Amino acid sequence: MAVLGAVGIGVLVGGEVLGASFHSAIVPAFGLDPLSGFFLAVLAVTAVPTLVFARDYLPASPGARTVGALTGAFLLSLVGVLVARDVTTFLAFWELMTLVPAAAILVARRDQAVRSAVYAYLAITHLGGAGVWIALITLAHHGAMGDPSALAAAGTGAQTLVAIAALIGFGTKAGFIPLHAWLPRAHPVAPAHLSALMSGMMIKVALYGLIRVEFQWLGATPRWLGLALLALGLLSCLGGVLWALVQHDLKRLLAYHSIENVGIIALGLGASLLFAAAGNSTWAAIAFAAALLHVANHAIFKALLFLGAGALERAVESLDLDHLGGLLRRMPWTGGAFLVGSMAIAGLPPLNGFASEWLVLQSLLHVAFYRPLGVALLGGLALAGLAMTAALALLCFVKVVGLVLLGSPRRVECERAVDPPTGMRAGMAVLAVLCVVLGLVPGLVVPTLAGLAPGVHGPALARHAGLVLPGTGSYLPLPLALALAALTLGLVGLRGKRRAAPAPSWACGQPVVSALNWTSAGFTKPLRLVLEVVLRPSREVEVARGSGMVQSVTYEGHVPSLLDASVYEPTVRAGLRAASVARRLQSGNVRTYAAYLLGLVIGLLVLVYAGVLG
Amino acid sequence: MSAAAALLQLAGVALAPLLPGSIQTGKARLQGRRGPSVLQPYRTLWRLWHKSAVAPEGAGVMYRLAPSLLAACLLAALAIVPVAGRTGNLGLGNDALVLVGVLALARFVLAAASWDTANGFALMASARELMISVFGEALLVLALLLAALPANSTNLLAMSAAAAGGHIWSGPTHWCGAIAFLLVILVETGRQPIDNPDTHLELTMIHEGPLLEYAGRDLAFLQWAGAARHWVILVLGAELYLPHWGSFALNVGLLAAGVALLCGALAVVETEQAKMRILRVPALLGVGCAIALAGAGMWVGGVGV
Repeated sequence: MAVLGAVGIGVLVGGEVLGASFHSAIVPAFGLDPLSGFFLAVLAVTAVPTLVFARDYLPASPGARTVGALTGAFLLSLVGVLVARDVTTFLAFWELMTLVPAAAILVARRDQAVRSAVYAYLAITHLGGAGVWIALITLAHHGAMGDPSALAAAGTGAQTLVAIAALIGFGTKAGFIPLHAWLPRAHPVAPAHLSALMSGMMIKVALYGLIRVEFQWLGATPRWLGLALLALGLLSCLGGVLWALVQHDLKRLLAYHSIENVGIIALGLGASLLFAAAGNSTWAAIAFAAALLHVANHAIFKALLFLGAGALERAVESLDLDHLGGLLRRMPWTGGAFLVGSMAIAGLPPLNGFASEWLVLQSLLHVAFYRPLGVALLGGLALAGLAMTAALALLCFVKVVGLVLLGSPRRVECERAVDPPTGMRAGMAVLAVLCVVLGLVPGLVVPTLAGLAPGVHGPALARHAGLVLPGTGSYLPLPLALALAALTLGLVGLRGKRRAAPAPSWACGQPVVSALNWTSAGFTKPLRLVLEVVLRPSREVEVARGSGMVQSVTYEGHVPSLLDASVYEPTVRAGLRAASVARRLQSGNVRTYAAYLLGLVIGLLVLVYAGVLG
Repeated sequence: MSAAAALLQLAGVALAPLLPGSIQTGKARLQGRRGPSVLQPYRTLWRLWHKSAVAPEGAGVMYRLAPSLLAACLLAALAIVPVAGRTGNLGLGNDALVLVGVLALARFVLAAASWDTANGFALMASARELMISVFGEALLVLALLLAALPANSTNLLAMSAAAAGGHIWSGPTHWCGAIAFLLVILVETGRQPIDNPDTHLELTMIHEGPLLEYAGRDLAFLQWAGAARHWVILVLGAELYLPHWGSFALNVGLLAAGVALLCGALAVVETEQAKMRILRVPALLGVGCAIALAGAGMWVGGVGV
């Protein structure tokens, strides 16, 4: 894996093409170009620490050997999609990439809920995945894989078909809202290292396909595609973070955040297409680089967070946010790494999440600079939406950090928790260091990524450690981080080592008991009240009275997933109804089936006779 | 010249407590009271600096580090915001959106500290502040977008330079931006009608809540940071949305007058307005966002340019 990553980085920096280039014939071929190289490098950077983590994590889990082998197969299929250079190989690895983790989840966990989650995952990704087949086979039919001019010659009809089919197909796998329903079901039930790879890399490979088709093979890119990506991105990032906020299960919350981050990447890609359509090649390249940088950053911090969640689950046997607490002190390695990952995903300077979010914000802000008016207004709207997303993510991860790492432990298991073995610690520590390093020197990476944008030749941007782009001020994370650290240390010194007298925290004079602990639902209450229209929370309070006194109060709150209720359930119902209608055709009687066959043959003959089939 | 600008930026460290002090004094005068002196915040800081502290049981490293880290964030913000159209090249960058990020970091630190104390009132206040910040942040970036449009850049120096002179006031965009930024000032400084800085009732606190468990020098840091937040936002508002022109010296004078004017305006608003229901704040900020978007649309559409 590390070797593959090194090759990927080599190709990315060198800019040459290894092996075969894309072609449309049905001959298996493998090759690497800088774009594949970039994704391969990201895959290696996340997969190696994840595998180190898995070495100590797996032996204690059920079906360890099988899951381990399937993890290897999964990684191989991810690499296969990235290096495939013809349509059959690509589609074969693509399907493997979908099926292998499903098998691994079923081996690792056997209860009914997990089976239905895996079923939903396979059903939705296969239905949506049809788009990938349609897009790629149409492309191959026109001989347009690796040759943008071929599809342009085929006319706008074919272009539109390919564009829409690829958007749906790859979009389903990437987890755009409203095609996301499988993601928060499938990611949380997988073993930790597989969740990390699925959230970190699998959905990124879907974005890789999207970039290949929409940016490289479409010929001329229409403006509506940019607008569609911007709208989908806005919907995904706001929706993802909103439903993440109201989750109680840590891994499910993280899965919703993957939707949010895919949305942010889509915003960058959409902005890039809009700049390209307006002829602003500098900013098209910058927005493209912003999206790619967020791909890398999200892969790293999301893998870190899922691994952290796995380590926490091992230590305290629960991932219910309200049952943890005080773990930073008891598990300093896991807790520290998890804190870094949380601050990175919340988009706080000087970590890596802020660098790419800053770039995407700048791209949207510059979209709002230029005519036509509609595009500028959508840019402004997306800018405000992304700012809200960042603030919501901050709210969400303050909550997670507070409930999981800070305060006092809420259960006996949390008091006894200790850090995991060395391998698991090392995996998380490496990823946390990467979050910091990529955050401090984003400017060294961005020019290379900008060079990957279609239509850009040669270095477009100067290389600094910080980020200074045309039309922005300067973001200098390294001095900023040093200044923050130095000032904090200075102020701590200035404050001096004064002993503070311990006292219970202020609760209006009441003794502080565990019933006064704040919960996840409590912290998001103001937001739930404000956004009642969107979230539709339901709550039930039962008060049991006896002899004039309140004996007990039970409270149950629940926020349904709006799209599940309004889109997926009717679809599933209609599908079941159609299936029951279709079932009437199956009588089980051989003679009826013979009659069907006869009817089919006669029908085909009539069609041939009429010349419909040519 | 840049040395003078650097000195002015650093002077913010010492001058910041003047702003909340003068707002309190102005408010008292408007309400017919004599009120505390303008220098009262300095006296409070002095008193706190020499007091011993009480810390909640079970609080950890986040609680202890938060005051210093928060004050460090605000010091960095002071180094980013230009004063009188200049910066002293303090080396921390000069981008508007970086400033937004640094302020977000400050918010994260304080909210995480309130989780560490597990104080219910601190958490209630943090939850509210973060809820408001969701809408406040959207408004802030839109207000910055409107100031960036004439400059074609998010460099704070270029934005300040583009807002200089009288010409900018002839179009509607600058007015829309000024209205949006006034709302930003109310949110970020925690003033009525969004928050009541004078409240002593824990249940109604927003910005004061997370400070409840602090005492002594830690509380002094936090109170200074609150004052520095006033300085950052008011100076930024004056740089981007109040009239300025001419030489550096004249600009310094105009900046002082502008900040004094904004403090006076805040005192008037606090006297006239009661605190609004917290659930209605998002609607108010949403109106601000709509105004800002309309302003951006008019600039790009070429109205009044």
